[in-house]
Amino acid sequence: MKKNKSSLGVMLSLPYMIWMAVFTLIPLGVVCYYALTDPDTGAFSWVNVTMLGEYWSVLGRSILYSLVSALICLLLGYPVAYFIAHQGKVAQKILYMLVMLPMCMSFLLRTLAWVGLLQDTGIINDFLDLIGIGRLQLIRTPAAVILGMVYNYLPYMILPLYATIVKIDHRLVEAAEDLGCNSLQVFTKVIFPLSVPGILSGITMVFVPAVSTFYISQKLGNTDTILIGDIIEKWFKQGNNPHLGAALSLVLMILVFVCTGIMNRFGGEEEGVIV
Amino acid sequence: MKRANKILTILMFLFLYAPMAVLIVASFNTGNDITNFEGFTFRQYALLFKDSTLLSLLGNSVLVALLSSFIAVAFGTVAAVGIHNLNPKMRKVVMRLTDIPMTNPDIVTGVSLSLLFIFVGSNLLGAKAALNFGTLLIAHVTFCLPYVILNVMPKLKQMDRSLTDAAMDLGCTPLQSFFKVTLPEIMPGIIAGGIMAFTMSLDDFVISYFVTGPGFITLPVEIYSYTKKPIQPKIYAMFTLLFGLIFVLMLTMNLLQINAEKKKKDTRVRVESKGMRIFKRAGAVALALCLLLGCVFLGVQANQHTIILNVYNWGMNIADGTDDTLDIIAAFEEKYPHIKVNYSTYDSNEVLYTKLKNGGISVDVIIPSDYMIDRMIEENMLLELNYDNIPNFSYVDASFRNPDYDPENKYSVPYTWGTVGILYNTKYVDSADVTGWELLWNEKYAGKILMIDNSRDAFGIAQYLLGYDVNTMDKAQLQECADKLAQQRPLVQQYVMDQIYATMQNEEAYVAAYYAGDCMLMMEENPDLAFYLPEHQGFNLFTDAMCIPTCAQEKEAAELFINFLCDPEISGANMDYICYASPISEAKNYMEDYLAESQIVYPSSQILEKGTSYAYLSEDISRYVEGLYQHATKTADQSQTDNPNSLWPIVAVIALVGVAGVVWFLRKKKK
Repeated sequence: MKKNKSSLGVMLSLPYMIWMAVFTLIPLGVVCYYALTDPDTGAFSWVNVTMLGEYWSVLGRSILYSLVSALICLLLGYPVAYFIAHQGKVAQKILYMLVMLPMCMSFLLRTLAWVGLLQDTGIINDFLDLIGIGRLQLIRTPAAVILGMVYNYLPYMILPLYATIVKIDHRLVEAAEDLGCNSLQVFTKVIFPLSVPGILSGITMVFVPAVSTFYISQKLGNTDTILIGDIIEKWFKQGNNPHLGAALSLVLMILVFVCTGIMNRFGGEEEGVIV
Repeated sequence: MKRANKILTILMFLFLYAPMAVLIVASFNTGNDITNFEGFTFRQYALLFKDSTLLSLLGNSVLVALLSSFIAVAFGTVAAVGIHNLNPKMRKVVMRLTDIPMTNPDIVTGVSLSLLFIFVGSNLLGAKAALNFGTLLIAHVTFCLPYVILNVMPKLKQMDRSLTDAAMDLGCTPLQSFFKVTLPEIMPGIIAGGIMAFTMSLDDFVISYFVTGPGFITLPVEIYSYTKKPIQPKIYAMFTLLFGLIFVLMLTMNLLQINAEKKKKDTRVRVESKGMRIFKRAGAVALALCLLLGCVFLGVQANQHTIILNVYNWGMNIADGTDDTLDIIAAFEEKYPHIKVNYSTYDSNEVLYTKLKNGGISVDVIIPSDYMIDRMIEENMLLELNYDNIPNFSYVDASFRNPDYDPENKYSVPYTWGTVGILYNTKYVDSADVTGWELLWNEKYAGKILMIDNSRDAFGIAQYLLGYDVNTMDKAQLQECADKLAQQRPLVQQYVMDQIYATMQNEEAYVAAYYAGDCMLMMEENPDLAFYLPEHQGFNLFTDAMCIPTCAQEKEAAELFINFLCDPEISGANMDYICYASPISEAKNYMEDYLAESQIVYPSSQILEKGTSYAYLSEDISRYVEGLYQHATKTADQSQTDNPNSLWPIVAVIALVGVAGVVWFLRKKKK
């Protein structure tokens, strides 16, 4: 009987395994192939890898910006997730939906709206000018790029946080209170430790898209805030060097896998990762 | 504490929704500028519904999303049941595989899939259009599958195994027990996964952007090129409608769920109400109908017009019917009803070249500039034209025949010509500073300068400024130009192509280098703008010409199209919109007088003498220049310019938090 089940499992999941292998593993192999071949001759070479040196600063900037935005998302998202998790059933559902809704709308247009808000002749500056503060340099700063990331990826932080916080057994909180914890202690000793898996998966879910993003910096940044995703796009779409682009993608991929690996190690086996 | 949380939550929702509110308000604006509300109107909605391309793009998106989520649901559910029955070791391996598309950055997924499709499709199978609807669908199914699996698996885990055993004991076949017991049990997971897959697919931009060709484009990909051009507010109208639609959909779904849960509690028996069941059935039937209609629609579309002609042109480079101009493509389709034009745009010669060189796409008409045509001829990327199909070539002026870039005129028919100069805002730029190309290096206008974003024009400008030959192959001189460009970078607001429109028109930037025709267009919108041609230093004189690339599938139709555009009346009407000069003198008779007489559009021959055109250098030099350009404009001289010093305190905080977290964790683990 058991053997039967297992073979049924293999039979049913084999097409899926083949599909995923063909369309996820092999493409990664093709990326490696492109990364390690010469753009002119197509022969094996390290030329793309040696050219990566120029981009460490860009990569460093991407990591820095996305870490900062992940942290800001956490600080902003935690109280919100906590608040949502402590509402009534119906309110929870509606608030959850409202957090999810922006994720379904075009991120390009939503980012473009920030240009309208932040630019020198934009809505916020018009307002500041009107009340006598004067126009400020808002757009084309590192802060604007980080703002764009926080704005676009905040829901990715709130949703997993909410999913873990809502699962926390309220009796644990009551028990802690009965045993003499004040509300701060309840938070630091009970609620926060129990929400760590949500925090970790939230950080990963913000960090990964943020570190690889393109477009945000093109619209909200200046000529010195360019991110690794923009460089990859340029080499594929404008510079005609997919080999170098592939090498950069490879670096990005390794970086992300290392990061998620670390997160998984801390978080233990996948828990509440699903939004 | 609770109050603070509440206030923060409200603020956070404001933060999330304010930009969307801006877009929605903009959709009712009479003006074009998002920052300036001039009056209330529904005009943009009317324009939207008249715009068949935008609607058909939305149709494309919905079709792909429906098909891919449907396939992913069917495929994923079966796979999930299979995985559930695997032994734990195998299960772990498969789940790791499932994680890859989830954890991989979108851009890497897109890039890797496009490389695979091009590698297999073009190199191994020799397909002309390796990137098409099929590859797009495969990519979407691939990233949709994990959502289904990850939603269905927990439901399978939760399910009581004895239920299926009981069903089998009672005489069900395994298939029956699956449909009667398992499926209803895991249905919520399937639905949730399907909906997530659908929304992800509908809104996907990054992956689609890399795996799709001009033959089949989805809405988000087109929105990307829309956001690069002067934005058309009807796109805001579309955003508003989609927002409303998704909002209503999500709300009804949630309300239904809440209702169902309430009922579940009331009766405590898990029997669906009759109404609910009918509703679900109706939903399933509706979905199936949609799918069927989609397929039929696609089939009809493919059949109705026997020929689909893919035209690939610069942005803002054909009259499209706005501002009372002639809609050239509509006129062409009217004249040749059996041809349907599929029109898409690129924003520089280099983008066009890269796209064709990377392969995987098929387009029939392209309009590159002189030096790029030379290069493409050299690399066998163009087809010879059959002039029997292009009788209107006789209207082309003698001076534009047999040009240097195509000495025997075998491959190209000129479309427009023009100059590259400086556009500046007279309100902010002191006329004493307008002395030559050095205006683009003037520190007085730091942060208000837009530089042209393609290697050839950027290097050309540096060469005119430094007094070098624009067609030099001297690497030392080129390096010097690159240094000049790197020096300019801290002053540059952005490197732009079509994005220049919005920024110059609303006075976000004051100085820019760009093509004369586009500058004319912007000057019509903002009368404070002026055009300047640095005659004493030299400037680029270019010709854009229509060609048929080797990847074309409809050569004859392409020649018809080229012929159509050479008709003096059509050419004149076209120039009225794009504001370039036509190589067909007779077209002037059909142009607006102010354009035909404009010194900017048609400079005098004395001025033209001082212009030079770019020639193709060599593969080696082109690559060298591209490398220098990307370096100069992206990564050079980081230390001198804005250092992210201001961020270091935040880094320190993060590092501290990180270390504290690790220490705390290790201590915890020890306990």
